[in-house]
Order: sequence, then structure tokens, then C-alpha cells
Amino acid sequence: MTSPVVELENLRVKLGRREILRGISSRLGVSGVGKAIGLLGPNGAGKSTLILTLLGFHKPLGGQARVLGFDCRSQMREVRSRVGYMPETDSFIANMTAVTFLHLMAGLSGLPGEAALEKAHEVLFHVGLGEARYRELRTYSFGMKQMAKLAQAIVHGPELVILDEPTNGLDPSARQRMLRLVREMKEEQGMNVLLCSHLLRDVEQVCDEVVIMKDGMIVHECNLEEERRSNKSFVELEVTGDDRNLQGALPAIGADGVTEGGGRWRIVLPPKVDIQVIWDLMAQQNLLVRKLNHRRDTLEEIFLKAMGHIAHTPGEGLLPGNGNCAAQNHKDSKDLRGTA
Amino acid sequence: MAVYRRGYHRYQGRIMGRWARFLVLPRFSWKKLFRQRLVVLLMVVSVIWPLLCAGFIYLTNHADLLKGLPREFQSFIEVNGKFFLVFMNTQAFFAIFLSALIGPGLIAPDLANNALQLYFSRPLTRPEYALSRLAVLFGVLSLITWVPGLLLFGMQVGMAGSWWFRANWTLSLGIVAGFAIWVLLVSMVALASSAYVRWKIIAGALVMGFFFILSGVATMINGVFRVTWGHALNPAWAANAVWRTLLSVEPIEGPGAAACALVLAGIILLLALVLERKLRPVEVIK
Repeated sequence: MTSPVVELENLRVKLGRREILRGISSRLGVSGVGKAIGLLGPNGAGKSTLILTLLGFHKPLGGQARVLGFDCRSQMREVRSRVGYMPETDSFIANMTAVTFLHLMAGLSGLPGEAALEKAHEVLFHVGLGEARYRELRTYSFGMKQMAKLAQAIVHGPELVILDEPTNGLDPSARQRMLRLVREMKEEQGMNVLLCSHLLRDVEQVCDEVVIMKDGMIVHECNLEEERRSNKSFVELEVTGDDRNLQGALPAIGADGVTEGGGRWRIVLPPKVDIQVIWDLMAQQNLLVRKLNHRRDTLEEIFLKAMGHIAHTPGEGLLPGNGNCAAQNHKDSKDLRGTA
Repeated sequence: MAVYRRGYHRYQGRIMGRWARFLVLPRFSWKKLFRQRLVVLLMVVSVIWPLLCAGFIYLTNHADLLKGLPREFQSFIEVNGKFFLVFMNTQAFFAIFLSALIGPGLIAPDLANNALQLYFSRPLTRPEYALSRLAVLFGVLSLITWVPGLLLFGMQVGMAGSWWFRANWTLSLGIVAGFAIWVLLVSMVALASSAYVRWKIIAGALVMGFFFILSGVATMINGVFRVTWGHALNPAWAANAVWRTLLSVEPIEGPGAAACALVLAGIILLLALVLERKLRPVEVIK
């Protein structure tokens, strides 16, 4: 039986007097299949604390955390030998060339001398630092340092790579390159990736699963892969006229929707239904369309919903695929209509 | 195939054992250290005194060379506990200088550049990291302390014969144990300074200051309170008191060897506590 990549059971972590993680439980990913898990949340949500706890840097106050089936406290060595970590902050070893740095890091992970040196060169070429590998790390630009950090995280071929804000401070091309490398890691090398970021687009591009955290709790878990497959499309509509009958008319075209008041509607369309049917329906109902925004469900919407900034997505729980998302914090997913 | 053409593939080969991994960090550090001219120069200077001592041993074992010298001088250069005590005192000072030069570069740069989280995200624990850093200093300082000490002892045995060994074999244990205590103390001071202060130069000054300031404090206590136990707070004095016992040399006035050994152990423990506090992968602001 394959174990989950990360398994949390009522995990509680306290730093100083403040409880940062407040009893979170979850099973994320399946080891050995090369999936990426996105860890989302606003600043102070507990994302980095969770990562540092998984690495054994923080001692849990209660509960358990397992990585690839190994307990983060009692089997820390096993966990660390299977994990690669790219920290958010600037971290390197002074007065060292990139190749020596990676050679050392590979050695510490247990690679024998010659293999460690070979892998150091190989990874540096892979991340695009091949030509600069004999330069000292302190002379690197910020983008190059980010790549060097990624290189040290994967030099020993870990099963799980934990990336903490990998695209922070990168220019658009470097960002794309970083995301491409992360995608390659999971698709070509079969590595699992735990990506912690507050950039929704990065997570959306790379991840298959998403966990959203808020105030030390997991407020939402979502399988993005299945969300993408369900291919739902959404319509944000603003109409003038008597729209009281619209709710009843929507099921006739296979759609579902909710009104947010003031003629504003959020409608979910089933796959392969053209937007023209909405125009036709509005004509039938004698409604004047003032605004129509047609798009697919985005991670932004899922995120905002989990944060309690928007009301629930229309059609949730009615269409296939909606079972892929699970809001854990019901208090936060109450109808907060009008706060969007 | 050339590395740049090969592309990245996950490493799935043999993994080294725990001890081989532990030695990776010292190995890299030694390689880096011996590329520094100042370190090499100080090491060369540090072996001058052992070479002179080797000359003395040669002289004492060649009676024909000493024939013209006065009898008092002949007895003065006799190879015994006192001889090795003088040797140890001199080498101890070189050990301080060398550790002040090397020590700050071991931990301070890692802390300044947030490198600890990179180390500790690998199968390397905090005690292992501290021990591997200690091993770097222990290795280098050994080359100027107990290793030449044992070589001198071996040279004397070789020249004087087995009767000398039978009469003085405890000296070899005294040399190794005495230097082990000193090297441990000096290394811990250097590592704690390096962990406490993130600037290399200040950390180096702190190492020197530790010994000189404590020596001053000890003298001050003795002067103010008209006592002798203050000497125990002077690490150099305390170590000397312990060495005298180990080498069977008459003790000097002041606290005994056991009390001095206890004080030294206490200092080492405090320094270990500093390391425990400072060597953390992430800082938690309370």
C-alpha cells in the first residue's frame, strides 16, 4: 500500500506562547507518483511552521506528522534523508563556489565523494548555472541564488522536495523557468513536491492538490487536477430588470446559479455548454445584460472562498467534480455575501 | 557522456554510512583551512618549539655531546615531567592563537548566511553538526599539541631505551589527557564565540579575550580577597594545575587539580550550553 506524502493527525505546534498550528489533520498526496501539493494561505497562516515541523525543526505540542510514512520526530533521520528543502530565506555557505557547495550538500546527504561531485555538476547544468558553477555563491544575483537553492534541494534525488516560496523575487522569465523545473521534477523524475507559496498562479500552474491554511488551521483542501478535468465554466453576470424567475430558469439549460443581490449573479455552466445559451436565456427573461464575465473556475476563487472573502461557488455540491474540494472550516465558509 | 549533455536524473545509488557522512563536514573544512596561508604559517611556527624540544631530547641522550657542559645544566635538560610541562605550556598558547584564527570561520558564516537550515534539513543533527565542527578544531590543534607530544615521547623512548619507558610511561597518558582537556576547552571557546558573534573578527577577538580577561579576573579576585582560589577561574592556570598532576610534577600554590578540573568541566559545560542555544535551524522570536 502506498503511503501519503504528508500525513497530519491533530498536529499542534506552539512557538513561544502562541499556538501556530491548531490541531490540523490531513492526508496529502501519494508517495512515489510525482504529484505536487500546493500549500496556500495568507501571511501568518502557519505554512512555514508546518514545513519546518515536517523537517523536524519545531517540536509538535501534540499530534503527529508523518512524511512518506516516517514520523517527523522519532524517525527524523529517515525523513531528512528522503527530503530536499529549499528555504525561503537567502541561505548558502559563504566563500564557496556553487559546485563545492553542492558537492558538500550531496555529501551530507550521503552520496559518496565521486557521485556527489558528478551530481553537483549535473544539477547545476540542469538549473542553468552550468557556466557559473565555479563562481562563489556570494557573487550570484538573487535569481541565481534561488536556482542554487533549488539545486541543493534536488542534488541527492529526494523523494519529496519542499519548496518555500521558490519564485519570490524572480523576474517573469526566471519565474517561468523555476516553475518549468518544478514541473519537470514531478513529471519526469517522479518526485513529490510540496510547494508553499502565496502566489496563486504559481500553485495553479504546478500543483495537483491544494491545501489552504488560515490562522493555523486547514480551511480547504482541493484536488486541482480533478477540478481541471471537470472543465466547469463560470459566468459572472450583472443584469437589469426583474430577475426573480431566473433561478428557476437556469436548470432548464443545465446550469445552476446564485444571486448576490442587485442583479448580480454567479452561474456555473456544465461542460460543453456554450455561452450563447446565457444570452438566449436573458433575452427570454427580458433582462438587460450590463456585464458578463465568462471564465473557468480559478484557484483565486477557491482561495478567496476558503478565506471567507466570497460566498460559495454556485453549483457547488450539485455537479460532478465538486466532491474534490472540501472546506474544513465551516465557520469561515459561511455565506459572507457582499464582502467580496 | 559529458555532464552538461546528460540532463538531470535522480540519484538512486549507494548511500554512505553515518560516520562517513559525519566526516564530510570536517573534510571540507580542513581542505579550506589548509588553503589559507595564515593558517599554514601559524602551523609552521607552532612546530618550531617541538623541533627544538626534539633537539633537547637528542642532546640529553648523547652524553658525549654534553661532556663539556656543567653538571647543573646537564640535569636541567633532563627529559621528565617538567620537560613535557614546559613543552605543553608553550604549545597551549599556540593552540589559543590557532583556534582564534580558525574557530570563528567555522560557525559564524553559517549563522550569518542562514546555512544551518540547509545542514539540518539533511540527515545531520545539531549535536552532530557541533561535533563535526569540534572535530575540525580538534584535528588541527592535535597536530600541534598531543601528536608532537607523543612523537617527542616516542623519540625519548627510542633513544633512552625501554628502562625509561617503564619508569615514565604515565607521561604519555598525561600528555594525551592534558592536551585533550586543553584542546577541548580552546575549541569550545572558539566555537561558542563563533556561534555567539556572527562577525569573524570579533569572534576571534573574543577567543583571545576569554583567556586574557579571565586571567585578569582571577588575579583581581586573588588580590582583592587575598585568596588563591581565584586562580581556578584562570583557564590557563587551572589547566596547568591539572597537567602538573598528570605529569607528576610538584604542584603550585593554589587550588588543587581536582578543583581546577571541575572548574574546567564547568566552563566547557557552559560553552556547550551556548552552542545548544545558538545552533538552531530557525530562530523563534518569542
